Amino acid sequence: MLFLMSRNPEEPVYNRIEEARISLGLTRQDLADKVGVHYQTIGYLEREEYSPSLVLALRIAKSLNQEVSELFSLTPFKKGK
Amino acid sequence: MSKKNKIYWFEGVTEKGVKSLLNEEDSKFRWLRPQRNRRVLVVFLALGLILTSMGSYWPTLKNNLNMTGPISGVIYSVTAVFVILAVIGGYSFLLIAVRSIADSPDELLDERQIAVRNTSFRYAYFILGYIILALLILMIFGPELQMFQSEGNDGSYVVIATLFACAALPSMVMAWRERDI
Repeated sequence: MLFLMSRNPEEPVYNRIEEARISLGLTRQDLADKVGVHYQTIGYLEREEYSPSLVLALRIAKSLNQEVSELFSLTPFKKGK
Repeated sequence: MSKKNKIYWFEGVTEKGVKSLLNEEDSKFRWLRPQRNRRVLVVFLALGLILTSMGSYWPTLKNNLNMTGPISGVIYSVTAVFVILAVIGGYSFLLIAVRSIADSPDELLDERQIAVRNTSFRYAYFILGYIILALLILMIFGPELQMFQSEGNDGSYVVIATLFACAALPSMVMAWRERDI
């Protein structure tokens, strides 16, 4: 059944966007406006349900004053770090 | 201040129209956003399209059920009103429910929305293939069912429903699959 087909299983990309965004006092809409995406896309990224392109990852990192490697990882981040 | 409203003729949308649907949150159509309501809308529209295509079968069905006089006219009229509401109304609401993402050009969407749109088109293409296959089977067995042979019936309702399905399927798939739109 076509409607029951699942999405392609992808290797998840873990991130700390939400943590970094909140520490700067930004809302999802604020960050979305800065990087030029819909605010729901920020939500998808924060829930790790969508893996960004390299360009978007770089834009997000720049907007949050962080390095890409500090924000994104192929392994889960340790809590509180 | 008032930037010119760009019209995308190929996609059949306008820049302001899409941007307004993408950004609105508190409108009277907010009830369309939950996935469950979107799925109800998809079922409603699909039912409308099936009934539209059944219009081609109506003359034969009427004869087989020995429906004569005003009763057949009443059934036909009531069904026609439902079909018009389901297809035209359902499609309009569906476009609002999915924020016209399925019909929007790349430059008005972000990369996730583009991915969602492209995936919806991919599934819609497969579904359309199955619909065409079903129609082919109907054409093969149609003579047995007398579907396309009765007088005054050229199968045009089937063609109309299929063409409408071509336009609506990507939005229907998107409305069905996506959790948040």
